[in-house]
Amino acid sequence: MKISILRSRRAALAVALGSVLALTATACGDDGSGAGGDKGEDGSGKGKIVFWDNNGGVRTDIWKEVIADFQKANPDIKVEYVGIASTEYQSKVDTAIQGGGLPDVGGVGAAMLAGFAAQDALEPLDDRLAGSSLDGKLNKDMVSVLKASGGGDGTLYSIPTSANNGVLYYRTDLFKKAGLDEPTTWDTFYEAAKKLTNAKKNEFGYTIRGGAGSIAQALDAAYGQSGITSFWNGDKTTLNDPKNVAALEKYAALYKKDTPAADLNNDFTKMVAQWDSGTIGMLNHNLGSYQDHVKALGVDKFRGIPQPVGANGKRVQVSNPVDGLGVFKSSKNKDAAWKFIEFATSHAENSKFNKAAGQVPSNNDAAKDAWISEAEPTKLAAAALTDGSTSIVQLPYYLPDWNTISKADNEPNFQKVLLGDMSAKDFLDTMAEQLNKAQAEWKEQNG
Amino acid sequence: MITKEATKVAPAPVPQPPEATRPVKHRRAWDEVPRWQIYTPLSIYLVFTLIPFYWILLFALRPAGSTSLVPWPITFDHFEKVWTQRSFGTYFENSVYVGLATLVMTTLVALAGGYALARFDFKIKNAFMLALLCSQFVPGALLLVPLFEIFAELKMINSLGSVIIAETVFQLPLSMILISNFIKNVPYSLEEAAWVDGCNRMTAFRIVVLPLLRPGLIAVGSFAFVHSWNHFLFALMFLNNQDKQTIPVGLNTLMSADSVDLGALAAGGIIAAVPVVIVFAFIQKWLITGFSAGAVKG
Repeated sequence: MKISILRSRRAALAVALGSVLALTATACGDDGSGAGGDKGEDGSGKGKIVFWDNNGGVRTDIWKEVIADFQKANPDIKVEYVGIASTEYQSKVDTAIQGGGLPDVGGVGAAMLAGFAAQDALEPLDDRLAGSSLDGKLNKDMVSVLKASGGGDGTLYSIPTSANNGVLYYRTDLFKKAGLDEPTTWDTFYEAAKKLTNAKKNEFGYTIRGGAGSIAQALDAAYGQSGITSFWNGDKTTLNDPKNVAALEKYAALYKKDTPAADLNNDFTKMVAQWDSGTIGMLNHNLGSYQDHVKALGVDKFRGIPQPVGANGKRVQVSNPVDGLGVFKSSKNKDAAWKFIEFATSHAENSKFNKAAGQVPSNNDAAKDAWISEAEPTKLAAAALTDGSTSIVQLPYYLPDWNTISKADNEPNFQKVLLGDMSAKDFLDTMAEQLNKAQAEWKEQNG
Repeated sequence: MITKEATKVAPAPVPQPPEATRPVKHRRAWDEVPRWQIYTPLSIYLVFTLIPFYWILLFALRPAGSTSLVPWPITFDHFEKVWTQRSFGTYFENSVYVGLATLVMTTLVALAGGYALARFDFKIKNAFMLALLCSQFVPGALLLVPLFEIFAELKMINSLGSVIIAETVFQLPLSMILISNFIKNVPYSLEEAAWVDGCNRMTAFRIVVLPLLRPGLIAVGSFAFVHSWNHFLFALMFLNNQDKQTIPVGLNTLMSADSVDLGALAAGGIIAAVPVVIVFAFIQKWLITGFSAGAVKG
């Protein structure tokens, strides 16, 4: 009896172990082919393509709708959707460039374009666009930004899908109660920040971004106040111009005086959550968080307007990354991948996508659709980007080192500025030196 | 015959335990410390620990847009949303599969390796132990590209097997060291006695040693399960299909570049945390025994 129990136990153990090993070894997988250096093929324009979304999750539903429409219109092409969180997209693509496994088509925004292009991972799209029905129908500025961001040779590696823009959100109920005017100028902005602050009651006029992503917002405030309209003056950056230094000093001085102390570590998630659930007068973010504010506050308690204008009555703001779609060079089915991009940026689909994402459409016809007027911040942002009222300071996304300089190298320094451990001048001088060096290297490499 | 005299013999004195071995009622250090000195820091610690959990529950259970500090009216919409619309049901299944498979493989291989380290002497044993320890200092991110290439060669990209193997490999060094310490604590003479009784090494190990390793196996197994349950990097890099992704990757996709659904994120966080909390609630007794036993003797 004992022997039979022992045998059955032994058999069960063997079956369990065998099953685990077999399942592990035979679990269906693929070879992840397609690395950075592969030349790929145009393919038949039919079959399966893989699409990596660079902002997966929240946009998954709308992309799946676009894909369903595409597959209906092109029954011989199947699109496999892979949603990847925006924070992890670059590392996932970089790993695939080195090790293989790149998709056929993927999200390629201006901020990541230079890095991917430098690794020879993207297919040039100028000729395909020239021969497409899309030619002339896409926003020229967005196309120019993506051309300029691709590494400096003017090649188009990504077809724009949408643009974002900085927005100053403010609480209309708090402004009305305090008898304040709309913060359309930097002077009224500072006045409101001061007047709406009552730290003892945990009420603040503004929330500043001190954590991840702080640099672009700080630069927006500096250039917005200084009125300087170009990032470069010859080969040197205007970043540490005395006007920018003075503007940043004034802006950073808001920290803890008219903002919560917790802002020091705020990335956009915490900043938006804090604004949506607290008593804070103003917030700088982009169009992307509009729906979050609507959910939290309703449409009546806040407005989203373009950045304040400077003393000369002119609005200056730094560029927001343009998002787009690119074909990866290693794709074995580039024709089908291109068909998908063409379809996704067509009038109807681009409109549908941007309405859901709350962004400015890249397709000129989509930008004229009625929904744009219904979402006020999008309408105002679209107008600001196109009516000539705003000068855009183009940030150097084309520099391969831009992401490192504007994030890992200098975000901790900006926190020091907020804490008073570093002067605004030292901060801007340090960053300017790094940028000037990166620009010189880039020029040397690109002739 | 028993004489009277004999009965009169004084009874042998009952042996008294020596003075030193008598149970003496000591006042414990516990009794000398005022209660408030114990409970105040514990309460403060508890508040700091529990407030974030309460905050997660609050966001998960109150309606979107509510700023109430209590989750009322209570809603399960966020849970429904992440479970159905955001595919957390699928992610959960995948995470359970990866976690259990990693647990089984890590425990079995660590058992074999740990036994060899504990019972056999071989030339490079110390160097091998050092290599195992040093391997703990290598971050997984450094090995991503080589691992990716290996799995691509094996046609295992986009397969849960790649994640299970990678997790097992990264769990093994520490697990083997722990298990070998547990085995060293089991007297070798027990195994020898079993051999004398006719068992071979394998049977002696299974019948005599294995039952005594239960705390250690639970410690190592739970550690492997929890680590693979929470691990993000390998699942993100080696899996592409949404129906193969795991909970940590799913949680990550609830935050977009410019927008975040805090209710869904909190609900997803609770779904991710509950199995780990349940596992620890059941095994904490063995876990503490296991880790302390493995740590003290080596």
